[in-house]
Amino acid sequence: MNQAEVSKLVSKLRIKIPNEPRKLRNIKGPEGRLDKLRKTVTGLFKYERIELNYSRGDEARQYAERLISEAIRHGDCHKPTMEAANYWLLEKELIHKLFKVLVPRFQDCNTAYTSIINAPRAINTRSTEKVVLELKGNPYPPLVNKQMNNKLLIQNVLLDAAKYDYRQSKYREMAEKIGITDEIKPTTNKDENRTNQIQLNDNKLTEN
Amino acid sequence: MFVNVYFPFSGFLSTQEAIERRNHLFTLEKKRQHEKVGRIEKIEVRYKGIPKDCTLVMNKGISTPYDCARHLTEWHVDSSALALIDGSIYWDMHRPLNENCTLELQNFTVAEPQQVNKAFWRTCSFLLGACATVAFKDTVPVRLHSFPGPDIRSGSFVYDIDLPTLEDWKPTPQELFTITAEYVKLCRRDLPVERLEVSEELAKEMFIDNPHKVKQVPSIASRHGNITLYRVGNHVDISKGPMIANTAQVGKCTIASVHKLVGPPDGDVKQLYRFQGVALPTSVMLNHFAFSILVNRARKLNPVWSPVGTSDRGEPIVDDVRTVSATA
Repeated sequence: MNQAEVSKLVSKLRIKIPNEPRKLRNIKGPEGRLDKLRKTVTGLFKYERIELNYSRGDEARQYAERLISEAIRHGDCHKPTMEAANYWLLEKELIHKLFKVLVPRFQDCNTAYTSIINAPRAINTRSTEKVVLELKGNPYPPLVNKQMNNKLLIQNVLLDAAKYDYRQSKYREMAEKIGITDEIKPTTNKDENRTNQIQLNDNKLTEN
Repeated sequence: MFVNVYFPFSGFLSTQEAIERRNHLFTLEKKRQHEKVGRIEKIEVRYKGIPKDCTLVMNKGISTPYDCARHLTEWHVDSSALALIDGSIYWDMHRPLNENCTLELQNFTVAEPQQVNKAFWRTCSFLLGACATVAFKDTVPVRLHSFPGPDIRSGSFVYDIDLPTLEDWKPTPQELFTITAEYVKLCRRDLPVERLEVSEELAKEMFIDNPHKVKQVPSIASRHGNITLYRVGNHVDISKGPMIANTAQVGKCTIASVHKLVGPPDGDVKQLYRFQGVALPTSVMLNHFAFSILVNRARKLNPVWSPVGTSDRGEPIVDDVRTVSATA
């Protein structure tokens, strides 16, 4: 009845959380699992980009997100948050980094604070799936090339020209069916513009 | 100097001998130009780009953008295809710098890659000439004619080659496959693309076995003064440039077709074979299905400008270009 809304007690994370925690098999049982995850979270906060197995990476990511989110919500004068930070970060200088570097960095962030990207795996091996786990806004060069949509890249130019060529051959076929053989109608206005561009950009023939 | 290696019967050189001779002359001339620099002076090259802007002190007339890249990281060395000097001049990676300048390194994924793409396409044509000369048996003389300026939207890079002993040759798929294999082998050798400017006389001396090139040399010299030569391995050819840094930057490639071009009966070139292919840089990953679309398109006769003016279908090629761009 008078139950408090959960979202007011804990902030909602922007990543998908599975229903069950993973077991992360090891000798010491649940305690060993937490040790593993603490090491990983510490490593992530220290290096900002780490490569590891998928299950451990995905599990550690949830704890790292939770920690950053609590730190942003409560600040460094909140005792439970400080205790959590003390527990999860094995190297104590990283607690300062969390409150003084990461909190300002992620304060206005409206997406998840970390990202997880599939890493390459040697073919024909039985090795487990690898991922790269990183804090957003890290100083390293980006792993994902977002420029592949650039129209001017050579593969896009070639594919675009091939597409254009194909479409023209179809128009020609259609025109032949209708019976117009002598002249092919110019298509749309957009296509005409592009034709002019082609003439300007690419049909400049130079010797050798 | 090249006079030392004068061959009295140079008109009767076999293809292989001619290649070796040209390569030798190129080496001598390059050495001579390097020695001509004399006392080494320093220039300041202001590098702009990742990881951070910096100033490099390099040797005037000796250091190249490639050397500058080697001061940065291996990534810069491997991925840079072209250098941009003072924000406006595109410069080969292996061409010595002569004065203080700013330097930007361009790879295939920069925001505005038009010039890099053109250099890539030009280099692909150049390499096609190199592998066509070695792909045939010794009994088949191969005379390279020329290649048109890079037109990427045409779908294939082109080299027009004169094969005087082959009257009516239609390559089988197996033969095309062999030429492609030669091309891949050449690219995998990881060779730098060297540049050299030489005088008209030396260029004539170098290409004395090739009547087409001998005719082209004076007209190029009258327009540009010097002749710009490029070398990959031991193959030397004339090109305006610029070209990319290394053959290892050419990734997926296929030599798609060879078409016969028949010239007018009164022209000086009776017939040529147009070798066509398509290639992508190493850094580009393209699905094999998408690449097969490009290869199929490259099989059609490329209608760009040709020295004989007509295709074997009997239509003037230049007009073909005009129809394509006007209507299609």
